[in-house]
Amino acid sequence: MNLLENIVGATKEIFETMIMMEITPGDALSESVTEFKGSISGVIGLAGSCKGMLAIHLPDSVAMSITSNFLGMDVDEVNDDVTDAIGELANMLAGNIKMVLDVAGNKVTLSIPSCIHGEEYTMGCVSDADWVVVPFDTNAGQFLVELQLQCND
Amino acid sequence: MGKRVLIVDDSSTMRKIVSRSLRQAGLDFDEILEAGDGQEALTLLETENVDLILSDINMPNMDGMEFLRQKKEIAAIKNIPVVMITTEGGADIIGEAKALGAAGNIKKPFTPDKINEVLSSVL
Repeated sequence: MNLLENIVGATKEIFETMIMMEITPGDALSESVTEFKGSISGVIGLAGSCKGMLAIHLPDSVAMSITSNFLGMDVDEVNDDVTDAIGELANMLAGNIKMVLDVAGNKVTLSIPSCIHGEEYTMGCVSDADWVVVPFDTNAGQFLVELQLQCND
Repeated sequence: MGKRVLIVDDSSTMRKIVSRSLRQAGLDFDEILEAGDGQEALTLLETENVDLILSDINMPNMDGMEFLRQKKEIAAIKNIPVVMITTEGGADIIGEAKALGAAGNIKKPFTPDKINEVLSSVL
């Protein structure tokens, strides 16, 4: 299965259908990003025959702009609306990836979304997992979608 | 009394977006009620009458499947149609929800047109 293609397809579908914001995917990163500043990360855990996590990492300003479009209202601070919206965004992305994994014969369950927000934080990798990180450009700035995955043989 | 709908989702964002999408789809319910999970929905339905329930599946406390399971055992509410709105659109999930009495399924992300299409066949 082509994880990169599925991440790009799922992200574009969500932004075109529900957020009404143009996004442009960039080339997948060659190294994982683990340190974030002034950002928010929405995270979904994957368990079952494939373990790992899906995360979306956004600078505060991009998260506020996306939430504003998503909810159709002005947002000028990272509040509960923003963390909930970014969690739901991660949830929709993970749901799409779960479908792809299930069709390939895996049995995967998803966690409830979590959000991390702070001035400076670090997120580690699942050891031995395959990973892909894709940057997306918007008119408000760039965000990253990351998938770490370790499937049983 | 006019038509009333109950939206069950742990995400306040999604509850707002479903409400907005119902209006954009031209489905003007007189009142939109909200619950954050299946247990909250069951508690609310003890005192409130609704014509339709739109429910997420993946929720904390009581998920959408357990909500369907318990609802169909309660005579007063077992015939209220439930449409699932979920990120998990796999055939096994949809099949399980249908077996538990779900009247339809809308996969996230969705458009107001998709909501209109599914709900028109239910209402």
